[in-house]
Amino acid sequence: MNGGYPAGPLARSIAWATVLYLLLPITIVIPVSVTDQRYLSLPEHGISFRHYANLLGSESWLASIQQSFWIALGSTLIAVTAGTLCAIGCWRIGRRSTELVRALMLLPLIIPAIVYAIGLYRWFGTLDLLDRFLGVTLAHGVTGIPYVVITVSTALAAFDPRLEQAARGMGASLGQTLRWVILPRIAPGIASGAIFAFIHSWDELVLVLFIASRNVFTLPRKIWDGINENLDPSMAAVAVLLIVFTVALLALDGALRARRQ
Amino acid sequence: MPPDAVALPAAAAPRAGWALPRDAGWWALLLPAFLLMSVIYVAPILQVLAISVTEPTTGLGNYERLFTSIGVQRVIGTTLRICAVTTVIALLLGYALAYVVALASPRAQRWWLLGVLLPLWISVLVRAFAWVTLLRRQGLVNQGLQGLGLIDEPLALVWNEFGIVVGMVHYMVPYAVLPMLAAMREIDPRLLAAARGLGASRLMAFARVFLPLSAPGLVAAGVLVFIFSLGFYITPAILGGGKTLMAAEWIKLQILDLVRWGMGAMLATVVVVAILTTLAVFSRVVNLRRLFGGGH
Amino acid sequence: MSAPVAHALELRGLSKRYGSFIAVDAVSLRVDRGQFLTLLGPSGSGKTTILMAIAGFVAPSEGAVLLDGADITGLSPERRDFGMVFQGYALFPHMTVAENVAFPLRVRGLSRADRDARVRGALDLVQLAAFAGRRPSQLSGGQQQRVALARALVFDPALLLLDEPLSALDKKLRAELQDELKALHRRVGRTFVNVTHDQEEALSLSDQVAILNHGRLVQMGAPEALYERPRTRFVADFLGKSNFLQGTVREVGATGMALQAGATRLVQAGAAHPAPGRPALLSLRPEKIGLLAGAETAENEVAGTIASWAYLGAGYSLSVRTADLGEIRVALPAWRAPIAPREGLPVRLGWAADAAVPVLEDADAA
Repeated sequence: MNGGYPAGPLARSIAWATVLYLLLPITIVIPVSVTDQRYLSLPEHGISFRHYANLLGSESWLASIQQSFWIALGSTLIAVTAGTLCAIGCWRIGRRSTELVRALMLLPLIIPAIVYAIGLYRWFGTLDLLDRFLGVTLAHGVTGIPYVVITVSTALAAFDPRLEQAARGMGASLGQTLRWVILPRIAPGIASGAIFAFIHSWDELVLVLFIASRNVFTLPRKIWDGINENLDPSMAAVAVLLIVFTVALLALDGALRARRQ
Repeated sequence: MPPDAVALPAAAAPRAGWALPRDAGWWALLLPAFLLMSVIYVAPILQVLAISVTEPTTGLGNYERLFTSIGVQRVIGTTLRICAVTTVIALLLGYALAYVVALASPRAQRWWLLGVLLPLWISVLVRAFAWVTLLRRQGLVNQGLQGLGLIDEPLALVWNEFGIVVGMVHYMVPYAVLPMLAAMREIDPRLLAAARGLGASRLMAFARVFLPLSAPGLVAAGVLVFIFSLGFYITPAILGGGKTLMAAEWIKLQILDLVRWGMGAMLATVVVVAILTTLAVFSRVVNLRRLFGGGH
Repeated sequence: MSAPVAHALELRGLSKRYGSFIAVDAVSLRVDRGQFLTLLGPSGSGKTTILMAIAGFVAPSEGAVLLDGADITGLSPERRDFGMVFQGYALFPHMTVAENVAFPLRVRGLSRADRDARVRGALDLVQLAAFAGRRPSQLSGGQQQRVALARALVFDPALLLLDEPLSALDKKLRAELQDELKALHRRVGRTFVNVTHDQEEALSLSDQVAILNHGRLVQMGAPEALYERPRTRFVADFLGKSNFLQGTVREVGATGMALQAGATRLVQAGAAHPAPGRPALLSLRPEKIGLLAGAETAENEVAGTIASWAYLGAGYSLSVRTADLGEIRVALPAWRAPIAPREGLPVRLGWAADAAVPVLEDADAA
């Protein structure tokens, strides 16, 4: 559609109100994070960065950030590898049976995290993966697969299948075709998927509530405890840092998309 | 070709005898994801389904509680009520937003979309925390209203159903906008101009032309928001403050605090079945792959 | 069997079914080494499916593909030794021209130096050495086509497959590249298999043309033979233009036959004929018909009036209405036109006894 027919005033006012409702409440954490008070409030006498200092000086917060980062990195690796290969396979085989495979890969988006979490709690108990780095990474990796499958499938939809035929026809093996022809062409789609899979793991809370306790204490878990126990302005500072981080990742994704076009 | 060129080796020597099916290599690409998904995802979920009919004793005893236990029925009632209210409000707001975005110029569309997608990717915890900051008794909204002299006593804006709905709608609006926008983008805006040119009022043009054409997107958005709401955990848990229990938190309570696996697994199964049934019923209208941006 | 096989490529009873749809129906053909074969047919005739089966992208339902006498039906594409120019060329957009051409060599594990030398040779062959560093998107359609050729030939394959290689180009460029393609074929001396729906391209490029319709091989032969001696109505109609004259066989002699169409009697040379009393169909090319002036006579003569006409530069195209043979199309070189055509003008048409060819109805040929 284009701007040929303008929306009416009622629709426009609701739309503006909705966008403000979506964005404004989130931005409230910014002034709160620089309050000079010791409790959640707007700055009264001036702004102060001591809550940021508290946060970045706290070993337990830094440890959680670090742990979250490594788990997100590891699970992104799993999701990207499995998701990309799967999307390529489904794309190339292109039969009805691969529709089922693709639907299977989308399950984690449809089935509530809580259901998976309780199942995993039992399952990892028998596999001795509870409260372990590997367990959380695997769980986040598997649930990150759909994001990669979706972005890579979208990238493949724009890929000329004759290029793959041409490569095979000139004698390239499957591995060579993947490495030299398919992967370079869909790299931006893979990068998008990786970014989303990373954000997914970085923000994931429900699973870690069940399958992690003391050894693995990710950032969302720490924020969760903070919200439930002591609502203090350092929580707002964490929130701001998280927002900045997410926006930076999305900007990176946007830049990659722009380059692709 | 250069006539003096040496003979080139064949890319791969033809092998006599057995040969793999032509597509075997491509099928092998599916293997890692398929194995991971089966062993780490599907198996634990199937186990949940199994637990619901085996613990504490084999049989449908847990499901009987759906009809006998007032506590279980209350949780289901609360969940359905909140989900329905959330879905309706999210659809209303989302529809207006999607309508304006769809009719905007491409440049303006990009800004609108940014406003919709940004909250989508910001941590749900951060968003729930922001709402707590705003809505609690000593929160900024109550302080502001008291400061203006509009109220004497702080209002109970959070740790009740109102707070849950505010937070959930906030989370769901982007999910409502995306499928509706996809459907509306297919509508030729010249149809609206044509309807106006033929004498229809703005409202008529909308009701007779745009609304029917965008109906599939509306249904898809409704289904999506509803099924996402059914099993939603974090926002209701934080903004409900443990007083208003929705399905997900009740399940967590059964398993982590009461260690009643059978009951927790039972309600989890009910939620999954409800979601899959909704999807199946609407599968004709809701193209799942398109919903999740799977492309063509 | 120890006798060497002379055929570079052979198809034996090749069939491809998609469900109940038969795309290719028991096609058998042989191509000698170094020949230029064109598979010609309308869209949906199965020509591309056959090419894809030769390449290995399509698994035949029945039949075999033999390369130099070896059965390659079960081999995957990368193990067959062919170069291919795809429709739309399928150049890798993320690689330069040189990298595209080097691709098959890289796949075969050639050293960098060997690769560079061969790529240079191949690009020289198509006169694109100066463009080695460009991306395909920076080239014109004709240049892209030549890169695709260089890439398909650089590893010296036994067989070159061309899938509508000229269809994406405009008419003038197409004619130019036809000449180049023909010259290239002579220079490299490899077996070429080309697919097209353009009959002019097929006639001018090929040593052999295989005409396909509804998945069947209708007729195969040298271009002149196909044009001069079409076996069926479809072949006569698809290759060039043709008039079809319907009559009943009256007499059969050693050197020809006589036909009756209404009040018109036709004589037709040739040995094989239907029995007297049977219907017969003749294909008569428009350029084999002359306009008879004054007392001129011909073995076959028909009177009619000009129904419509068009001036085509090199000559005239006339449509002449006759009483017994319907409308007959005549192609008349301008220098041989005895009159200035105008509508309604009575004319006499004449042609020799060996000008027309008896052809089969398509249903009878099946």
